[in-house]
Amino acid sequence: MSDELDEIQAIFFEECAEGLVTAEQGLSAMQAGDVSAEVIAGVFRAVHSIKGGAGAFGHADLTAFAHKFENVLDEVRGGKIPPSPGVVKVMLSAFDILTDHVESAKGLAPRPADEAALAALEQVLANKGADDGAPAPAPAPAPVAVEAPAAPAAAEEADEFGFVPMAVSLDDFDAPAEAPAADAAWIVTFKPSRAALANAGEPLLIIRELETLGAEIVAVDTETVPPLRDLDPEDAYFTWTLRVPGEVAEGDINDCFDFVAPDSLVEVRRDEAPAPAAAPVAEAPAADTGADEFGFVPVSAPIEDFAAEMQRVVETIAAASPPIGSVETPSIAPKAGGDAAQQTIRVDLGKLDLLLNLVGELVIRNSILADRLSPADRQRVELPELARLTRQIQDNVMSLRAQPIKQAFSRVPRMLRDLSVETGKTINLETYGETTEVDKGVIEKIGDPLTHMIRNAADHGLESAEERIAAGKDPAGTIKLSAEQRGARIFVRVQDNGRGINRERVKAKAIEKGIISPDAVLSNEEIDQLICAPGFSTAETISNISGRGVGMDVVRSNVEALGGRVEIHSVPGEGTTFTMILPLTLAILDGMIVRLAGQRFVLPLAHVLETVQPEPGQVKRTSPDSEVIDMRGEYVPVKRATEIFGLNDDRAVEDSLVVIVESEAHGKVGLVVDTIDDRREVVIKSLDQNLHPIRGLGGATILGDGSIALILDIEALVASTNRYTPKGMAA
Amino acid sequence: MTDTNDNAGTDRKIVTFSLAQQTFGIDMRALIEIREWDEPTPLPNVPGFIKGVTNLRGNVIPVVGLAERLGWEPSAIHARSCVLVVNIAGKQAGFLVDEVNDIVAIGETEIQPAPEVETIEPSVIAGLVRIATRQKDGTRDEKGTMVLLLDLDALSLTKHLDLAA
Repeated sequence: MSDELDEIQAIFFEECAEGLVTAEQGLSAMQAGDVSAEVIAGVFRAVHSIKGGAGAFGHADLTAFAHKFENVLDEVRGGKIPPSPGVVKVMLSAFDILTDHVESAKGLAPRPADEAALAALEQVLANKGADDGAPAPAPAPAPVAVEAPAAPAAAEEADEFGFVPMAVSLDDFDAPAEAPAADAAWIVTFKPSRAALANAGEPLLIIRELETLGAEIVAVDTETVPPLRDLDPEDAYFTWTLRVPGEVAEGDINDCFDFVAPDSLVEVRRDEAPAPAAAPVAEAPAADTGADEFGFVPVSAPIEDFAAEMQRVVETIAAASPPIGSVETPSIAPKAGGDAAQQTIRVDLGKLDLLLNLVGELVIRNSILADRLSPADRQRVELPELARLTRQIQDNVMSLRAQPIKQAFSRVPRMLRDLSVETGKTINLETYGETTEVDKGVIEKIGDPLTHMIRNAADHGLESAEERIAAGKDPAGTIKLSAEQRGARIFVRVQDNGRGINRERVKAKAIEKGIISPDAVLSNEEIDQLICAPGFSTAETISNISGRGVGMDVVRSNVEALGGRVEIHSVPGEGTTFTMILPLTLAILDGMIVRLAGQRFVLPLAHVLETVQPEPGQVKRTSPDSEVIDMRGEYVPVKRATEIFGLNDDRAVEDSLVVIVESEAHGKVGLVVDTIDDRREVVIKSLDQNLHPIRGLGGATILGDGSIALILDIEALVASTNRYTPKGMAA
Repeated sequence: MTDTNDNAGTDRKIVTFSLAQQTFGIDMRALIEIREWDEPTPLPNVPGFIKGVTNLRGNVIPVVGLAERLGWEPSAIHARSCVLVVNIAGKQAGFLVDEVNDIVAIGETEIQPAPEVETIEPSVIAGLVRIATRQKDGTRDEKGTMVLLLDLDALSLTKHLDLAA
């Protein structure tokens, strides 16, 4: 029984996560200057539904905070509080606290200290109140109110005030210049969603409720009513404009609309011309008994308009050539519009994985079948058709797992806001290519590396404002986060316009830490790579942000575990770019089938530069256990995978092939293989699913004949006997 | 179910098999299937008792020489050699055995603890149980045979490989 509740609660938290993403996107858009009603309403709905769910599950703290936040959003949505940068900033920090509250409700975090954020929200609300009367003095008491709760707050909570004071700065609140007279009447515009009736959102009830507040219908817009033959009596078409007496609280009006369908239009504003007079009298209670049998609400339109509309309808009917009897009864017609919108369902990821596995099997069976048929049969239409269909199924299943990388990027803005407070640096974030689609598994696994890269950029990459000014740069630093797809790889870049890597210091540090020997001669790129060595940290003082010396090492090992690599590009004084190059999917690999001592292995094609058949003398020994190959004058180290794997191999190198591969840590390396059998895409099966990861192997795959080929892990193979091996130290 | 005195003989089903002239047993519930021996794909950098990996309906599963794993001489491959595919804590593995004998029901109460000196890794043997064996003519040999019950969890590859790695 409690299991069931847990399940529902789990769904609630999933929805919370989605709501938070929506809210953050909306708030970010607002911060960037897009304060359209649509964006604001989106944020409001997200927070509103979190509040609703939280209430249902008894998360009192979350509910209370979301409620306050929602109040502010509601006022912003209603145009009562201008969405000025200061207000948006308050809402962004409120959003951060809301996120913490959700985590706390999940039991993953302690209850956040929300006093400061609540006070800031309260302040924004209070300021609005001041607008109605005399806007000028309003900001004066503001800082007092904000500082008041600061006194009892703990030291680190005080940090949060870094955001707050901006919310109440004077110029944030000068927007509503046309401060309306205190009791100007409210003008309420209400256009229910088309599907309101189907969703039990009977507009009549809402209008009646408004009427209990003293509302009068001013006008009904019937423009959207279609000709009779197209009319669906179960749809709602009208837009009502109502006048509500000015002394009614705005909250009471909004309460009437608590349960309208989400895509309904609701606008509440003060009447700019406060002369209500007798205008609405004429049209008031015209048709209260009207069209009830159609299922829609009585029309209280101006009589003339209504008559004109009737006239139009009659004309339309007359114009329609088929006799009325044969006109399709519109009531049975399927509902158009809203329902056709994108429909999604939640699917357990495990089911998708199973499906992917089965499809992989299907592909394999398909090629087994092809191998067993005679060449003549293979040419028949059915087999290529089957292969094509199988391939399409595979592509489609793969696409089911693809998600926009936005999901991984979504936590970055929050992180930067925190970092900006911690470091005292002003940091602008620019994001590109958020819609790039990547396999779900990749998205899940790049979160940590991305966090480290961003922290690294904010802490080490960007200089302090003073340093930046001294260097003639914009005092605010910029971090660019971008994603793009190139072929079967995804490039995720974190670029800062900071000081760049100080190579002298990096090298000195690496020598000090014993990572390289003092007389090592390294290229700039090799020095940059040292940042990724385990136990390396150049921060002079260890900060709690990124000074523990684990960051970039974690980035590199995580990315490599995904079959990707990290590239570092740095220009002193101009900034550093970290690029994660990731496979599009974790499930399929473009590989070369090679033989080592007769056994088949898969070499990931992404690493392969070229293949050579060595001439006699082209491969030379440089020591009893190291060899090089002369590649057009360039000496490239040669490794024998057979030796690394302990396989028996007495084949002369001249009878073998040397595959030149590009490795991240060690540049070009030649691998000796017997032969190359084939090139094909293989479905990656992890070895640790039933066994344990094995050094030198990236997994296994099942070939067309049902046998298994092991997938080589180039980085691990190449690193296995090298001069300095950062990876080896970790093992 | 709870009254072990009345139906002590039907508490649990085990699969018995021979290995290095001994009779072993594993819990029937862990068994996924029994396969014919098929040379697996050898793996580098693994302990010698891991013979390699094989394809079980799209899953890559390790094949273990159970004799070596338990410290006996490696099994010679012959016509009746087969692989018991088992599930150990959610992971699948194949165990090479000399011959599968029978499926028998035993009672929980019939199991005796294993004397600690008998094996290199005492925890691998969960207990001893005496069963009546079927003769070639179909009659039962009442004297019975001693079966060494294996504790599969102790045979988990992940555990062992963590130490080896």
